[in-house]
Amino acid sequence: MFGRTLRFALVLVATLLLLSCNRKEGGAKKIAVIPKGTTHEFWKAVHAGAVKASREIGVEVVWKGPLAEDDLKGQIDVVQSFVAQGVSGIVLAPLNDKALEKPVEGAAKANIPVVIFDSDLAGNAHKSFVATDNLAAGRLAGEKLAALLGQKGKIAVLRYQEGSASTQKREEGFLEAVRKMPDIKVVSDNQYGGATTESAFEKSESLLAAQNAGSGGVDGVFCPNESTTFGMLLALRKAGLAGKIKFVGFDASEKLVGALRDGHVDALIVQDPFKIGYEAVRTMAEVLAGKPVQPRIDTGAVVVDKANLDKPETKAIVAPDLAPWLGK
Amino acid sequence: MKYLRKYPFLGPLVAVVVVYVIFAILAPGSFTRAENLTTMAGQTVVVGIAASGMTLVILLGGIDLSVGSNVALSTVVCALCLKEGAPAILAAAAAMASGLAAGLLNGALVTTLRITPFIVTLGTMRALRGLAKGLADEQKIDAPSSGIEALVAPLPPGYGWALFPPGVWIMLATSALVAAMLVYTKGGRHIMAIGSNEATARLCGVRVERVKWLVYGLAGLFAGLAGVMEFSTLTVGDPTDSMGLELEVIAAVVIGGGSLAGGEGSVAGALFGALLMTVIRTGSTYLGIENWVQDIVTGGIVVTAVALDRARRASETRR
Repeated sequence: MFGRTLRFALVLVATLLLLSCNRKEGGAKKIAVIPKGTTHEFWKAVHAGAVKASREIGVEVVWKGPLAEDDLKGQIDVVQSFVAQGVSGIVLAPLNDKALEKPVEGAAKANIPVVIFDSDLAGNAHKSFVATDNLAAGRLAGEKLAALLGQKGKIAVLRYQEGSASTQKREEGFLEAVRKMPDIKVVSDNQYGGATTESAFEKSESLLAAQNAGSGGVDGVFCPNESTTFGMLLALRKAGLAGKIKFVGFDASEKLVGALRDGHVDALIVQDPFKIGYEAVRTMAEVLAGKPVQPRIDTGAVVVDKANLDKPETKAIVAPDLAPWLGK
Repeated sequence: MKYLRKYPFLGPLVAVVVVYVIFAILAPGSFTRAENLTTMAGQTVVVGIAASGMTLVILLGGIDLSVGSNVALSTVVCALCLKEGAPAILAAAAAMASGLAAGLLNGALVTTLRITPFIVTLGTMRALRGLAKGLADEQKIDAPSSGIEALVAPLPPGYGWALFPPGVWIMLATSALVAAMLVYTKGGRHIMAIGSNEATARLCGVRVERVKWLVYGLAGLFAGLAGVMEFSTLTVGDPTDSMGLELEVIAAVVIGGGSLAGGEGSVAGALFGALLMTVIRTGSTYLGIENWVQDIVTGGIVVTAVALDRARRASETRR
């Protein structure tokens, strides 16, 4: 019997030894980086940025998200484990602004500094918050659409969802910018596209119909995230209005970039996930070195249109080359 | 050898120790810190409590796939009560009552409609998830701080004598109660009898339907209690929480020596099964093992553990 138990144990030992082959040794500072998930394209770019920073500074980065995408309990468990392990610092993109507050306080009590990135956290136990300034990104979108329209015309906004802080900030920034222009009229700003592309498409269709977009009722449209932008794009194409109505969207998927080339989308506002990962780890390194850090760090957003789409600096943001950092 | 037959939970206990030692060697220093032990114990509480209920169901030859949804529902009920200003004890009681009600519903469907438990609980898994989302208006529910958070949080300074957070002791107490019930009460032996051979048990005068109803109810009650512990960690009510938790709970019972054919299983074994999975998860986090590798390793260990157990039984019957 003990032969069997022993064999079982040996199999386990062998597996784990194999798994740990690429483990790094040494006294380097260990920074845990915890994303919201690990499979989305966005997080891969964040990961690459974090690795770049870690190589420049000479710290070890452990990348570990919840096992299931967007699993709140899983993320809390991961934070607790890193605190119990006593890592040098934790860089976290919280899935919920309240639920992660206690675990982060726990880290602070254990003298482990925490830098928050991507989404904000309640409380003040963390050292800094590194993310896109969505209000500024929204303003950028408003200014771009106004410029496309020659500072005059009728504009519609398809909002994303109630209770989503980041997109609400973008919508707010956008409206703030366009309302400064006296000749621009916002004809609709109270429609919500909802969580999926499907729901956004349906809302877009009824929004365009309600405002008589086919007969000149709308000159420009803005959408604050990927799903609403794509839903609106489908609706404009179906109505035969794509390319006729000026259209500024948010985020860059492959399909949206394709639409940009076709002239169906005039501009996309794009965040820089690589820079978010890079700046978050750098900020943590500064904290560990005892230097003061800004409580809020903006990683910026850029306007991508047909003119700058193929420039190397745009490409580095829209489709960064991750291979040197992630080795795949 | 004969100890192993008498105490079936020794197998998973050995597995936990072996895996712990392996990680202790691979992550020297940090893995064996006392904080890590208490953190791991705290992270086992939800699965551990739900596993005592699941052990009963599996002993009976049944299965309960609705555990994860039931836990999520319970976190939502707990958060809603606290939001309405109810005291912590009342909110926890309401959450457990919702779990019990869901469990009794499972029991009623299994006994009256005579549909296999797999199908019944597959249905209630979806239905309870929907109910949780509906109650929560498809959002996470913020609740005021109430003291429930302290159940699985690290002990505050000055309470070190308690060794573990209260939730861990509650888990141990429920497991001890269920184990004692199985050994020392008539109802416990009836559960074993039904799981071993339902027809014979019925002929011997066991009121099969009543026992089943009771067991599914108890499993629901434990899921409700597990939900209170889950809420204690989350501090918000989350209707999308614990997707797939049922599989982790079933895995814990099976690693602990439970047989899906019924009649075999051990509460203590299930507890070690749950602990084994926490140790693997924590160890993987320590070593920075990638998520996909961790999934494969956990799956492999479930199958290996059960295969070893079967081989052991086969060699015993041959003797």
